[in-house]
Amino acid sequence: MIRTDVWGFRNPVGLWTLVKRELFRTYKVINQVIWPPIITTILYVLVFGLGLGSRVQNVQGVSYAAFLIPGLIMLQVIDQTYGESSSSLFQGRFMNSIQELLVAPLSAVEMVTGFVLAAVLRALLIAFLILGVGYVMVHTLPRDWALYFAMTVLVATLFGSIGIIFGLLAEKFDHIAVFTTFVITPLVFVGGVFTSAQFLPPFVRQVSLFNPMFYMIDAFRYSFTGRSDVSVPISVAIVTALTAAALGTALRMTALGVKLRM
Amino acid sequence: MHSVTPALRVRDLCKRYEDLTAVDGISLDVERGDFFGFLGPNGAGKTTTINAVVGLATITSGTIEVFGHDNVRHWREARRLIGLSPQEYNFDRYLSIRDVLIYQAGYYGLRGPAVRKRASDLLERFGLSSKANDTFVKLSGGMKRRLTLARALIHEPQLLILDEPTAGVDVELRIELWSMLRELNLGGTTIILTTHYLEEAESLCRNVAIIESGRLVALEPTEKLLARRGSTTLSVTVERPLDPIPPVLLARGARYDPETRTLRFEGIEPSAIAPALAELDAHGYAIENVDFKRSSLQDVFLDLVGH
Repeated sequence: MIRTDVWGFRNPVGLWTLVKRELFRTYKVINQVIWPPIITTILYVLVFGLGLGSRVQNVQGVSYAAFLIPGLIMLQVIDQTYGESSSSLFQGRFMNSIQELLVAPLSAVEMVTGFVLAAVLRALLIAFLILGVGYVMVHTLPRDWALYFAMTVLVATLFGSIGIIFGLLAEKFDHIAVFTTFVITPLVFVGGVFTSAQFLPPFVRQVSLFNPMFYMIDAFRYSFTGRSDVSVPISVAIVTALTAAALGTALRMTALGVKLRM
Repeated sequence: MHSVTPALRVRDLCKRYEDLTAVDGISLDVERGDFFGFLGPNGAGKTTTINAVVGLATITSGTIEVFGHDNVRHWREARRLIGLSPQEYNFDRYLSIRDVLIYQAGYYGLRGPAVRKRASDLLERFGLSSKANDTFVKLSGGMKRRLTLARALIHEPQLLILDEPTAGVDVELRIELWSMLRELNLGGTTIILTTHYLEEAESLCRNVAIIESGRLVALEPTEKLLARRGSTTLSVTVERPLDPIPPVLLARGARYDPETRTLRFEGIEPSAIAPALAELDAHGYAIENVDFKRSSLQDVFLDLVGH
């Protein structure tokens, strides 16, 4: 049964408390969720960007290391946003602490917005820290800040929502890792973090067009390099559509109380 | 006469899980200011009913109103008025004890200095101030129990629902919790309590409902239930054998056991005790011992649920 007022925004204090709680949780597990992506990025830039990359000619008009930075930001934003929102929700269900929210006058839309908003803020922080690494190590910064922010927010909303969906469906922690291992990691790695589509054989290039990560990384990289493999409006439209679908699904599941309300 | 909206009104509540009917058509009212006991054996449907009231379970059919607010149509108003102290600990393990209270208030839309002060007052009142900055895992069992009560009260609910509030706590803390609950009830908070300890319900609750297999088998004032379903026995031992037995005592239903020199009055009203004793005295029989027994809620409960 969907409650009639389930979509209402009438408890802004409750929503903001949930955002604060999620960010406090991130702070408490900072060694798991903030430092690892930064350290990993520094290592990728050192080994692939500056080490091997010095032997690669310019890609999309920039050095290979500078080409790598936007891809690495997307990689970490996707990975961490999904990981945090799915595990926080699952842990809440597992330890029953989610009941603190379920008995309170918080609507489904307020709950989902709280989790997603926290995911977006975490993503902006991670992106900002990696951007700092990029600026110090390879002197690269976005040229189109509006696109940089729009893509970070869209992708964080998408994977924050997917995190909610899997956090609700999972019966054990292992189930959460399935999506990371079998979907996120392979699709991100072949989605253009490390290479431009122009370097791929024609057949593989065609296949990448079915990989949603390819559009995210391509449009995001455009905000740095000013060049892209496919049209930026098309990429933004595809990512927006996926985000709307994931957010809608997360909202509907929460409103129905799937695995939340007995 | 204008009747006051009850604190809780449940009508024809049903909750089904695939092939299991957990709650099967319960209707009951809990009046404002009441101390209400909700009793039943394990698996009878107590927690399911409570979960339906607080919104942790969806309902299959029926209605629930909290101070006149339908808990589906006007769920925000209904939830604001309820404080739940659940049976299982469900605290946020990342937060300090003080923040558990402050964040819970936040989820109810409350913040600011008044909330911080109320959190400090509750911590003080429940003897948790020294642990305010620790997390839940550092608390003793009794402290965890007290924290569930403090958290349930942070948003000043008018209806407090306690699911087994004294499960697993020692006698001393149980008595302390009873006195805290009585005080809250005297202050005007309506309290609904589920418990396995029937002496707890007998001592605290003015009205009780007994549920078995999802159906109500009793719903009335505790005293009335005990009087109606319970029994009383007065045993009087006299110093010398009764011979003959005064007919007036036989007329009152007394049975005499010559071996133990004991007169037994089954089902005697408490008001008839003094006249019976006076009658013996008038006949010159000195009394050696008097014993009055009344069945407890536990006896009535076992009788009703057929165990």
